[in-house]
Amino acid sequence: MTAPSPLEAAAGAQAGGRDGDPAILADALAKTFRPPGDVRDLLRGRLFAPPVQALASVSFTVGQGEIVCVMGPNGAGKSTLLRILAGILTPTTGTARVAGLDVAAGDITYRRRVAFVLGDERSFLWRLSGRENLHFFAALHGLTARAGRHRAAALLERVGLAEAADRTFKEYSRGMRQRLAVARGLLGEPDVLLLDEPTLGLDPKGAVELRRFLRREMVQAAGRTALVASNDPAEVRALADRVLFLEAGRLRGETTPDRLEAELGLEAARG
Amino acid sequence: MAEAAPAPSVRAAPVVAPLPHPQPTASRLLWFLRVLRAFTRREMIELASYRAWVVTQVVTFGLATVSLVFFSRFIGSAENPHLARYGGDYLAFGLVGILIAELQHVGVSALSQRVRLAQVMGYLEAQMATPAPPWIVLGVAPVYEFGAAALRSAVYLLGAALVLGVRFADAHLASLALTVPLVLAAFGGLGLLTAGTTMLARRFNPVATILTASSVFVSGVVYPTSVLPGWLQSAGKILPLTHALEAMRRALLIGATPQQLAPSLVALALFAVILTPVGLGTFVYALRRAREDGSLTHY
Repeated sequence: MTAPSPLEAAAGAQAGGRDGDPAILADALAKTFRPPGDVRDLLRGRLFAPPVQALASVSFTVGQGEIVCVMGPNGAGKSTLLRILAGILTPTTGTARVAGLDVAAGDITYRRRVAFVLGDERSFLWRLSGRENLHFFAALHGLTARAGRHRAAALLERVGLAEAADRTFKEYSRGMRQRLAVARGLLGEPDVLLLDEPTLGLDPKGAVELRRFLRREMVQAAGRTALVASNDPAEVRALADRVLFLEAGRLRGETTPDRLEAELGLEAARG
Repeated sequence: MAEAAPAPSVRAAPVVAPLPHPQPTASRLLWFLRVLRAFTRREMIELASYRAWVVTQVVTFGLATVSLVFFSRFIGSAENPHLARYGGDYLAFGLVGILIAELQHVGVSALSQRVRLAQVMGYLEAQMATPAPPWIVLGVAPVYEFGAAALRSAVYLLGAALVLGVRFADAHLASLALTVPLVLAAFGGLGLLTAGTTMLARRFNPVATILTASSVFVSGVVYPTSVLPGWLQSAGKILPLTHALEAMRRALLIGATPQQLAPSLVALALFAVILTPVGLGTFVYALRRAREDGSLTHY
């Protein structure tokens, strides 16, 4: 990115919701971690290592029905932001409202309306089938065994895993695992989806298919809103209505997918 | 370049019909039981795929029991005044001791080990992101472990009675009905305390190991506490396992009445009353800290 970049000009810009109240409203979110000290810290009489600021006064909004991608280098704070909005990490300061609910509550109602779609393969039980994994998570959503079975079957059909539903998770390809993660995210019929690098590691064809499915069916057709953390320009172009840039925990600006390559300097690099 | 984005206000019917969720006022206990059932089913499927491990566990316990049989023959060759208080049969004495010590080990370590394992394996974050309250997500595993350990103990005792001729015919059911819940509550409180301190320390907690080792040493797992020097006997009284062993052995083996077990039952009740709220408080505090520093979902 070269100065003066439109990104910097747009820094701090607030995008209003396109359909009434914003689906996500982050106001001066900040997060500072205090890692436990190592032996050297203890010898110096400190229980904790020096604090690490992961997010610093991040403010933005996401309109209802929008898909907004958050880009930034490793360690920029993308995953921390998603975890705060998912209600599994509390911000040090600042507030956020998602689907009209205060993230500080992080209660049952909140987590029913907001789904954190975690593609981490380790988050599944490898010796269980895709169907059995979903049954277990359906119980965590409070569904009865019968409702969980129906819901899991419908979602497996929806993400194209019906035929592989009874194969163990360890037999799944990377693409199938990502699709199962998507199905798990939909168990609770959420209004807002938080996705962390949803097509990471997929082959190009599989990635294109999954992105199309995510954009058209999971978000647009279902009237949902999505915030996606990604560092893949192809993924961002295929998914996003808007792009936010995080760097060192701070929001540096925003752009649109059609300006993404120019903003990232990729066109110049290709030229 | 990016494909043209259709208007975001398009609202088609959901791709999968929404299901009615249990209302927030629905019974949390029912929710817990649903998750417990799903968890148990999950564990059974996992265990079925670890057949060699299950066989190894059974064989290991079988070998330990056989050793106990021969040891009891050796001990039983002469009348032992230390065992008279428990009916005189060393096999029954040792078996109950090992099973109750195992129950304490499960109680003390199950929650902390499960939390640690889930952190290391990476599946806790996805579970914590579901609507289930944290106490349900974290509570099912130790309850399952406790239940499984209690069931295993019952099966082993039944097997000992049927195969080895160990006598439990004199067992006092009312005493057992009082003792078992108190033992579980005391061990459960200890488990909450250990799990809380493990989460705060962010590593395996040596307290559990020290507690288990010292309990085996001074609580009288494989020998009666009466063989210990007086000061070690006094030290043993500050541990719940000592009282659990005393009450369970005397209720099971000689049919002691609740009145006869009163000192042990009162001690166990005190442990339960003190350890449960202290353990719960520590655990809730540790959980809040973990949500603040992110350590619950990261190794």
